[in-house]
Amino acid sequence: MTALIELSGLSKTLTGQGEPRPILSGVDLTVNAGDSVAILGRSGSGKSTLLSVIGLFDRADSGQYLLGGADITRVPERRAARLRSAEFGFVFQRFFLLKHLTAAQNVAMALVNGQGWESRRTRRAKVMAALDRVGIAHLAKQRPPRMSGGEQQRVAIARALVREPKVLLADEPTGALDTETGALVIDALHSATDRGCGLILVTHDHAHANRMHRVVRLTEGVLRAEPRGVAV
Amino acid sequence: MALSGRFRSALVIGGQSIRARKLRTLLSMISLFLGVLAVVAVQAGSEIANRALLADIELQQGKDGSLRAGLPPGPDTVAITTDLLADHPGIVGATETSAVIGEPGTTPINPGAQPFKHASRDQGGYAVRCDANGMCTQVMDDSPAPPGEAIEVRLVGVTGDIRQFRPFPLKSGEWLSFDGEPSLSPRLVLNQEAADGFAAHPVPAQMRVPGASADTTPRITGVIDDGGYAPTAYIRADELFTWLNPADAGSDPRTGQGTMMQLYLWPSDQPALQTLTARLSGAGVDVTHIYTSPVDSRDRIGSQLDVMRWIFLGMAALVLLIGVAGILNVGLATVGERVEEFALRRAVGTPRVLLAGIVLAETLIIGLLTAAAAVGAGAAALEVASTLFGPSEPLLADVSFPWQAGVAGVVAGVAAGILGGLLPAIRAAGIPIATVMRA
Repeated sequence: MTALIELSGLSKTLTGQGEPRPILSGVDLTVNAGDSVAILGRSGSGKSTLLSVIGLFDRADSGQYLLGGADITRVPERRAARLRSAEFGFVFQRFFLLKHLTAAQNVAMALVNGQGWESRRTRRAKVMAALDRVGIAHLAKQRPPRMSGGEQQRVAIARALVREPKVLLADEPTGALDTETGALVIDALHSATDRGCGLILVTHDHAHANRMHRVVRLTEGVLRAEPRGVAV
Repeated sequence: MALSGRFRSALVIGGQSIRARKLRTLLSMISLFLGVLAVVAVQAGSEIANRALLADIELQQGKDGSLRAGLPPGPDTVAITTDLLADHPGIVGATETSAVIGEPGTTPINPGAQPFKHASRDQGGYAVRCDANGMCTQVMDDSPAPPGEAIEVRLVGVTGDIRQFRPFPLKSGEWLSFDGEPSLSPRLVLNQEAADGFAAHPVPAQMRVPGASADTTPRITGVIDDGGYAPTAYIRADELFTWLNPADAGSDPRTGQGTMMQLYLWPSDQPALQTLTARLSGAGVDVTHIYTSPVDSRDRIGSQLDVMRWIFLGMAALVLLIGVAGILNVGLATVGERVEEFALRRAVGTPRVLLAGIVLAETLIIGLLTAAAAVGAGAAALEVASTLFGPSEPLLADVSFPWQAGVAGVVAGVAAGILGGLLPAIRAAGIPIATVMRA
């Protein structure tokens, strides 16, 4: 079976105003369809950078990145945008919902992105199905300022799921939520794996990490398997 | 399909953004509105002036693209020409003489068909002849008649409906009918100056034409505006020649000077003019003095108006630039506020070019809405001005909003939208996607 995501020897050095800082040093990771992987690591360890590389926000300096068997290590930006639209769904710690749009319009943002065009009726059906999947279809016409943090994050998850992505990337999605609401959000994310979607979750929360199929830790730029139930 | 999807996406997202920032959109529109309105006003003003000038020239010279031919005076010129024109209704001949309407054997109120405003019977032993523009010249007159209640007019005999070349607007009554036999009581259509003269000076209905076999009783059927300053009456040529030998038409018995017969025709009728030239030549007329000239008033006045138009458009462009600066300012501020939104849109697969398209779509929509408002305001203002000032100012009477001004307004709005939105669009497209990850 072809792996959904296959990273081998991926390296990345951040260059800014100061000295160049190696952040990823030969990362190897394989994610299969329906697989869920939690990435742990201390702040500044490069978790978000790794997620940026996987989500094609950024490119690795060296190594190889295969998506469904196709090498996309040096993919140009135009194709990367197409892949982000078709293959990936993103959930961030901050929800990034547009305040002037309703929940349904925020979800539809992923459909109105210049990558093809669907009729208003089709868009509406897809949006309502995505909202229904995370249990907030009744809030479709609400605007974000009138919704709780958990509801807003579920709108963000619906936005990530509406295009039926193959990979869901979540960067500390429960960081701004209380424990109970966070658990609900992890439920919503994890349910996507039931339909064959791969899930990569960056988190500091071991309880949430332990609900994933695998847990890995990023230390000094290298990913290592994390024993289950270990608290740091 | 890809282009259509991006275009539609840009419009949908741009529309959402405009609705979300109504006050800011309004502020952008206000400064741009004045600029577009200035362009609309300049364009409308120059078009209306152009139309008025052209209409005035058409009244006196003929329609643009037509031809005017002058036939030299001669004993048979008028007879041969009217005979030929009977078979060519598309060509109209006009011959001019004078007529005095009123008390017989007296000096008229306006000797020589002078405009009434400057009319004077005391010419110090000279007679006066005036042309259609009111330009008068004096000639010796040894035996002036005593003053009387009479009016002298230029009498223009026409062989057909001259309005197909000189579109005289009818002020009252009706234009000459060329159907049926000529009447023994000549029907006259007066120009406005002549009508004003007859309204101010009641005179007996007796008309004498120099060289005519008898005085006649004219019937005035209508009043037109021919753009001329001298009092003028138009008459069917065949009704004039019932009483006047064609050989005597077109010449002034007091001065002995001949007057050329004018022909109005379209270029397609030039073969008939060649036939006429051959017949006149056969009758001994010196055809080397026949001249033909095209009416190209649009070109002539166009170059005169263009200079003024460009000067005013330059000033309007400066005002428009202020509007562009307004859009640019608001656009850059808005992009700065929407950094996260644009980064997020890139994260969900929106290409850079579409992000630029979204910003441009917003400024274009603002430009178009502003243009629509400015064109509407311009048209409404013109309508109000026409209603209020039309009766006293002929330039504004029955004036319609020129479509060219509408087009200029839309072009100005679109251009301002593109110019004002270009820099914000480039900036939006360059926002790094990792912004959402670092937030």
